[in-house]
Amino acid sequence: MNVPENPEGRSRVPPTPWRIFIELAKINTVTLGGGYVIVPVIGNTFEKLGWINEKDFYQVFSRAQVFPGPIALSTAFLVSYRVGGVIGAIAAVLGVVLPPFFALILVGGFISLYGNTLLFKRFLAGAGAVVPGLVASMLWRTAKNRKWTVRTAIEVIVFAVALAAFTSQAFFILLGGIILLYVGRLIWKS
Amino acid sequence: MEILSVSLAFFKIGIVAFGGGWSVVGLIKSEIVPRWMTADAFNSLIAIAQSTPGPIALNAATLVGWQKAGLFGALAATFSVIAFPVLAMSLALAFAKYIPLKKSIADESLRTGSMAMILMTLWTLLPQTTVAWPWIFTLVAFAVTAFTKFNAVWIILGSGVLNMLIGVLH
Repeated sequence: MNVPENPEGRSRVPPTPWRIFIELAKINTVTLGGGYVIVPVIGNTFEKLGWINEKDFYQVFSRAQVFPGPIALSTAFLVSYRVGGVIGAIAAVLGVVLPPFFALILVGGFISLYGNTLLFKRFLAGAGAVVPGLVASMLWRTAKNRKWTVRTAIEVIVFAVALAAFTSQAFFILLGGIILLYVGRLIWKS
Repeated sequence: MEILSVSLAFFKIGIVAFGGGWSVVGLIKSEIVPRWMTADAFNSLIAIAQSTPGPIALNAATLVGWQKAGLFGALAATFSVIAFPVLAMSLALAFAKYIPLKKSIADESLRTGSMAMILMTLWTLLPQTTVAWPWIFTLVAFAVTAFTKFNAVWIILGSGVLNMLIGVLH
């Protein structure tokens, strides 16, 4: 596989599947706040270990965004494939999936024990109440960082209205809509 | 056969889960509310999924699977949500040469798709009430996270604790 030579000449840890698993598991246990927080941490860690340089990492990251699924998973998968081959990629999946899984099992157990107490219900209601606000700020940040044209604005609005109007069919609308946009642009360009 | 229908729902979510955590939430909601839980319970679930380590779609899958079918339900749902993404990446790595995907066009299409998904998420999550306090929580959370670098996790935990204190004081 593509084991990168180490540009700085530092002694480096070989990217064995076990090591890849451990590094990713550590990151995924302690990092809160979603994919775009985790990805730079993965990048820094892999760079420090001498497995990949920054430019290559962000190249892989930009490729990872074309795939569905959590961005932390796709980035970890593709980067680990690059540094550790097929077994490395499998190790990466386990490293991303297992720590949150066990954390959630603990939380789930906790909720089944205390979920019915009034105090805990109030906590959950309060925590849930801010969620729409957080989504709105995500929308704001994404919209701000995009280059808008009349065309893209119309596309987004039509797409969103279709989704909101036929919520129960969201899956097919999304799948069809993304394919339609891609094919449409392909034909437009040619 | 709860376990199968939960797995299928999350497998579908995995196929179109583009564009970072929050955009997927509306889609998850469309699959599981009101089939398996109420809208309020769903908001709490998302708050938990966001304030625990790991991707939000994965965490939501684990929690819903756990609630519906215990440990095996949690395992099945979690691996269902990553099944398609992992398969797609494996195929892409194996057959990269033969896939004539125009990356810039794909990026642009996906960006539009994920913007629409976030809008839908926001639309389906907005408080379905004229009672003031959910709106106040929402607006304050928006203002703080949109215009400062404050980590969303602290907003979630903070407002949970705040609501608990209000309950104690009453």
